[in-house]
Amino acid sequence: MKSADTVLRLEGITKRFPGVTALDGVSLEFRRGEVHGLVGENGAGKSTLMKILSGVYHADSGRILLNGAEVAFRGPHEAQKAGISIIFQEFSLIRGFTVAENVFLHREPVRLLGHLDARAARERTRALLDEIGIELDVDRKADELSVVQQQVVEIVKALSVTASVLIMDEPSAALTDKELRKLFEIIRTLTAKGVTVIYISHMLEEVFEIADRVTVLKDGRVMGTRPVRELTRDELVRMMVGRTIEDYFPPLGGGQGPVLLEVRGLSRRGSLSAISLELHAGEILGVAGMVGSGRNLLARCILGLEPCDGGEIIVRGRGRPPRSFHDAMAAGFGYITDDRKAQGILGPMSIQENVTIASLGSYLSLGFLHRGRENADARRQMELLGIKGTGIGQTVQTLSGGNQQKVLVARWLLRQPDIFVISEPTRGIDVGAKAEIYRIMREVTGTGKAILMISSELPEVIGMSDRILVMRAGSIAGMIDQRAGQASEEQIMSLAVGHEYSIHQGGAP
Amino acid sequence: MKTAAKGRTGGRRPWYRRLTEPGVLVWLILAVLIVFCISASPLFIQAENLRNVFLTQPIGLGLASLGQAIVVISGGIDLSIGSVISLLSSLAAGLYRAAPGIHPVLMALVLVALGAAAGSVNGLIVVGLRVPPFMATLATMSLFQGAVLFYAPRTIGGIPASYRFISDGQIAGVPFSIILFVLVIAACLSLMKGNRMGRHIYAVGSDPFVSQISGIPVRRVRFLAYLICGVLIGIAAMFMTARFGGGGPKVGVGYELDSITAVVIGGVSLAGGAGSLLGTFAGVLIIGVFYNIMNLLSVNAYLQIVLKGVVLIIAVSFYAKRRV
Repeated sequence: MKSADTVLRLEGITKRFPGVTALDGVSLEFRRGEVHGLVGENGAGKSTLMKILSGVYHADSGRILLNGAEVAFRGPHEAQKAGISIIFQEFSLIRGFTVAENVFLHREPVRLLGHLDARAARERTRALLDEIGIELDVDRKADELSVVQQQVVEIVKALSVTASVLIMDEPSAALTDKELRKLFEIIRTLTAKGVTVIYISHMLEEVFEIADRVTVLKDGRVMGTRPVRELTRDELVRMMVGRTIEDYFPPLGGGQGPVLLEVRGLSRRGSLSAISLELHAGEILGVAGMVGSGRNLLARCILGLEPCDGGEIIVRGRGRPPRSFHDAMAAGFGYITDDRKAQGILGPMSIQENVTIASLGSYLSLGFLHRGRENADARRQMELLGIKGTGIGQTVQTLSGGNQQKVLVARWLLRQPDIFVISEPTRGIDVGAKAEIYRIMREVTGTGKAILMISSELPEVIGMSDRILVMRAGSIAGMIDQRAGQASEEQIMSLAVGHEYSIHQGGAP
Repeated sequence: MKTAAKGRTGGRRPWYRRLTEPGVLVWLILAVLIVFCISASPLFIQAENLRNVFLTQPIGLGLASLGQAIVVISGGIDLSIGSVISLLSSLAAGLYRAAPGIHPVLMALVLVALGAAAGSVNGLIVVGLRVPPFMATLATMSLFQGAVLFYAPRTIGGIPASYRFISDGQIAGVPFSIILFVLVIAACLSLMKGNRMGRHIYAVGSDPFVSQISGIPVRRVRFLAYLICGVLIGIAAMFMTARFGGGGPKVGVGYELDSITAVVIGGVSLAGGAGSLLGTFAGVLIIGVFYNIMNLLSVNAYLQIVLKGVVLIIAVSFYAKRRV
């Protein structure tokens, strides 16, 4: 390709976080005026790459060349000054500020002594809106705008510093179809002016529609960059997933027991629509889906942590939906969240205190805690789950991620819940600990309990689930019964991203 | 684009909807309170009382509350306000005792400079040492209060009449203190609403992360908010020294809490980023009217403190509901 066309070039970008290599020698080039799609599974490194490009993170090694010159940014505003703007998944607007105030945040037009020239800001904002053909009241406050309007403000903010590269991270996540059309129109207007748009999305149809070229990232490496018109959807999906399932998963459970949990038509406006499912004793029901598909929200609604608008939740035949998490616990639920640090462990407290915290009621006698029984139970649980530490008095924050996760499992097992909801059971823990967690999960279902497992790791979903529920945009995209034959990553991905999949892709090996 | 064009008039809501905005609502509450006072006590409406409630009393607390409001909008809080005022008034009285010939203008400037210095101390502890604002200013509250007790355990009098012009003097029939206050509040309004720095103070209080990625020097802005607050506290101390004709450890007592009460009643969010200075001033008047009617109705002084707590709870819970 002609190098004159290249506006931005990455050479050997590597970024490591404790325990993971997020990006491994990524080399890429973006051309002037193209829409460059960037796709990959959760955790493939897309967001990390974009954060490096926009100066939020720094690469451990590698170079970024903008118009042929090496650049290093200390923050997004420096990247923006140089012409690279990013529109984050969570918008970066000040809620109480107007459109014009947000567009010129920190670059406010001023007169003498820093006195604001509000009229200039409004007029320049209006001119920029005209440029992309959008009508929007520049005096409206950001929190009164619709999602696409907020996006427009972000785009205009980027244009106000003459962006040559505009990065959009999952821009369609909260857009309606109509709004998406409008966004595409704006993108085409921009590229016609020579702006390069980097479009990150899970939604492959969108990439096929808007992108000129697409780059696939997987496990922090570039799998390839191809012109979109030379590519079929199946090829793209294969580039994204194509790997084998590691063999540390225990065999699937036995037959289906009685129904422990039944959900009928669970809905929440704008985020969940008519979800129905059954969870049987002795099974693991895996819930797969992309970020924002509602998989975690579903769990939180079932557990009474989020309100829902309609539907029934029937626990062991009793139609009494949990109104609070306290209710859910009483009804026999246990819950391990995907955020171990913030919503799981009590870091500065001991293993013993962490293990018994959800069952304290059973240690009370005359209002006092029976420490002896507590200690004995904690010790037993520690041994049972193979928690490696100096003793039950060790503070949990000093344990490894895998052992922290086991502490959480121990906490809930002590309560003996009938239904376990586990989100991302092995996030951020090493392979050995993973295998042990998987073994424990199988033991749990072996005793007639059920697990609802939400996971973004496809091998885990396939390796552990008796049945797989795939969610997409707040509804059920499909249910795969693995006892009839193992699902493939392609099959789940196809359902999750919403392009029709052919049966012959799945099937037993 | 149809979708984007919809609701073009969003910034200009119907007038009756605007009445429920905290910055507007507070004036309505003040009006209702005044109507109540007029009907509850015939003494309230008398000229002498009105002048006292609306012109004389609110100036000290008004100046202090403006400073508090700016710090709170920036996302912080200042608990040291009362002790700084006490310390500065004592220092002023002490200075006059040591050198009675000091020109009042010079003395006023010294107090403002000392206020700025105290504000800088708070700002440096919050920004430089990264101590949470509540803890930082709780500590400096103790520090300054201790300092004033150490320096002057009792009230020092002897402020000359030339200096007391600040509180008692008139220019063309208008009290100088009123002119001073109007000028200060105008300057603050212009700073917070019309100036780049004020815009950044709102932005930082609203969302420090967004501010940072937009290139705003968040730490510097936070420091400046404390510095500006310090200047305003200096002006407040300058006025109050004149008004009391002396200084001492009790001059500023209660100002930290009263200023926070005024700020909250005035609709400034304790979470930062939202609220207006005019609302804060209305809050100051509400507190003044409240104290006044309690006195006129001869409510027990301790009971007044209890009632003040009750009013604060009602006000905050009221706004809390509005915001969700």
